[in-house]
Amino acid sequence: MDLMKSIKISAAGMKVQGVRLKVIAENLANADSMSPVKGGDPYRRQIVTFENALDKTIKADLVRVRSIEHDLSEFRKEYDPGHPAADETGYIKFPNVNALVEMMDMREAQRSYEANLRIIDVSKRMLSRTVDLLRN
Amino acid sequence: MDLNKLPLFSLMNRRMGWLAQRQHVLSQNIANADTPAYKPLDLSKESFRRMLEPERPRVSMQQTRASHLMPTRTPSPFREDVDKDTYETALAGNSVVIEEQLMKVSETQGAYKLATNLYRKHVSMFKAALGRDR
Repeated sequence: MDLMKSIKISAAGMKVQGVRLKVIAENLANADSMSPVKGGDPYRRQIVTFENALDKTIKADLVRVRSIEHDLSEFRKEYDPGHPAADETGYIKFPNVNALVEMMDMREAQRSYEANLRIIDVSKRMLSRTVDLLRN
Repeated sequence: MDLNKLPLFSLMNRRMGWLAQRQHVLSQNIANADTPAYKPLDLSKESFRRMLEPERPRVSMQQTRASHLMPTRTPSPFREDVDKDTYETALAGNSVVIEEQLMKVSETQGAYKLATNLYRKHVSMFKAALGRDR
């Protein structure tokens, strides 16, 4: 049944946005996580990517998380010889997390989540109209 | 009595099938609003002439040997096409615009409402002719 399927597709869409939000929360929480060893690398920002793939049980394409990858951009460096994570030259590396970018990402995830929710609402209403044909 | 032999009922049936499939396609587009390189799909518009034509029998693959695999997905009754005429395309190659899709969703919802209401009216006309209630 097409309308039931569309509800399931939207639910899958909401689920991946939830995973995305989880990764964003992880990034933001670790925005100041320095290296545990001297001169090592700090927390590296993570990025979620999605893909559309066939789900054999419901016979429709569902969106799912393809992979959670690391952001390979440069770390910000600062001179602070007293810091426990500083290397021999006295520089420490900060995580490549930008709070502003994460916030924008979060808003986008929220908006997509709401759109999926709206679709579920509409599909449900269409389905109940069909059932209402019996009551006449 | 087969209700689908009445042209109006079979038309409504077809119309509701089309709208339900469109809702399916649109929900897929929305779910993939952030999938890289995803292109939104849409159903080709049904013309009035095609609606009146009798449905052509569909040709599908047949299992002639036990070792043949059946396809996972049965072909959907109406054709799905990539929507080339979208508002914009993001850098990642995704051209789903949520606003545009939601507009189509509400259009589909309205048309569905119309179809179910017409169906209901037609049924009540039959009831009036039968003279059972009221």
